[in-house]
Amino acid sequence: MKMKKFLNDPNTLTAEMLEGIALAHGDIVDVLPGNLVVSRTLKDADRVTIVTLGGTGHEPALSGFVGDGMLDIAVAGDVFAAPNPQSCFEAVKLADRGKGVLFLVLNHAGDMLTGNMTMKMCNQAGLNVRKVVTQEDISNAPRSSADDRRGLAGAVPLYHIAAAAAKEGRSLDEVADLAQRYADSMATIAVAVRCATHPASGASFGDLGDEDMEIGMGQHGEGGGGRQPLKTARETIAIMANALVKDIPLQKGDRAFVMVNGSGSTTLMEQFILYKDCVRYLEGLGIEVAANMVGEILTVQEQAGFQLNIARWNDEFLRLWNTPARTIAFSK
Amino acid sequence: MTVTLRQMKQMLLGGADCVISARDELTDIDSRFGDADHGITMEKIMKALGKAVDDSGEDCTIKELLSGISMAVMTINGGSAVPLWTTFFDGLAEAAPDRADMTEEEFRAMFRSGYGTLFELSKAKKGDKTMMDALEPAVEAMGNVTGSLADMMKTAARAAEAGAGDTVDFAARFGRAKNYGERSIGTPDAGAMSMKYFFQGLSEGLDRDQ
Repeated sequence: MKMKKFLNDPNTLTAEMLEGIALAHGDIVDVLPGNLVVSRTLKDADRVTIVTLGGTGHEPALSGFVGDGMLDIAVAGDVFAAPNPQSCFEAVKLADRGKGVLFLVLNHAGDMLTGNMTMKMCNQAGLNVRKVVTQEDISNAPRSSADDRRGLAGAVPLYHIAAAAAKEGRSLDEVADLAQRYADSMATIAVAVRCATHPASGASFGDLGDEDMEIGMGQHGEGGGGRQPLKTARETIAIMANALVKDIPLQKGDRAFVMVNGSGSTTLMEQFILYKDCVRYLEGLGIEVAANMVGEILTVQEQAGFQLNIARWNDEFLRLWNTPARTIAFSK
Repeated sequence: MTVTLRQMKQMLLGGADCVISARDELTDIDSRFGDADHGITMEKIMKALGKAVDDSGEDCTIKELLSGISMAVMTINGGSAVPLWTTFFDGLAEAAPDRADMTEEEFRAMFRSGYGTLFELSKAKKGDKTMMDALEPAVEAMGNVTGSLADMMKTAARAAEAGAGDTVDFAARFGRAKNYGERSIGTPDAGAMSMKYFFQGLSEGLDRDQ
């Protein structure tokens, strides 16, 4: 099927979008050369700051989470492609307000290569930076081979928790250790019912037919191996939540954070139905849902489907979560 | 045998031309298990290489030429290929002499350094279905040739071609294609194919000079 999208030029998608973000949210962010989306609160920051990087096409992630109480700088690449190491190095340098920089990377091949090269450059320049990788997709590898797990939307609540800890005046090591603990406490699984098209090339990421869903599908339509006939919201949640609960693992009496992240074409109506089914499912296991995010957080263009992220939360995570934030796509 | 700055530039421009002409094929291969942008990214990288060669001037050293290319590639947004090719050129530059010519042994050592530096970053070995499947045999073949520079580069190009061809039978262990595992058998690796075309172009560029 021919791609139907409101675009101008396939070569300027990222530049045009960033221009739009700057025009729409100039009170929250500045967009600087090198595709740096920078929080306007950065210049007065006297704390550990947070930088991340990633391809575009996943809006509102990642640029949408720049602002007070989340990211200080997001470095945008091109559509589904990591930014260059030079821009990331410049971003870390710019972000460093003397207290060090937490550099968050989602586990994808390009992001990791750029992240590793950036770290090499930062270390050579003597910058105080610590990298934490999120890799929580349970579909393609067991927890024991976490290096093979993709980084999905579970990184987004971490932005706020790490930023809240930084605002309390904690050191870089304390903030980075907290971020690592958070990364280790969560798990995500995705499902798709209809694939996206690449907005630059118009190429489809695949075809799931009229009857099927694929559990475990990655953020760029990479297969996950769980193709099966479409089921109801309740049945789908039971499969996915069960897998997450076992992986984390969660037990009776635990408190959880639940995120239902729409991939782009799954309606908010469906997302609330799914969230309700997940809360009820966890209640049945004696697990209390203490906090949540429901909505489009990290999308894959017009892919239909959602990511379900569950994390085991403690008092510290909950307290940090319940602090103010004001970003483009998330405010508290 | 001596390799001159002029020959080095001709080779690099030949490599860039050859990769750029394969753009659509590379993108098509990438559309099967990647996200259909490899040819586009390689074109950006090779155009940056071309511009860096053009901007390098007549009296630069081979080290400066290659450092300039590495710096130019580093500023492109294009996913995995950018840090990988930046690192490859950086590895070449590290071992290249700060002169406008080099000996045969320095030329070989430069490519071994390119390979070694890339391996440190990628950790991929022959058989993993990556660009290393073309690069490793090409660099190895260069060490076994005695004769003219043209002979050496022809042998390297043939070895890279054979290595890229072998990737058809491998299951991906790196990059996005990894998620497809065994399903990737039957399709060559897009990164190995770009490296194959790059070596083919290095060899052709040299011919053009003579």
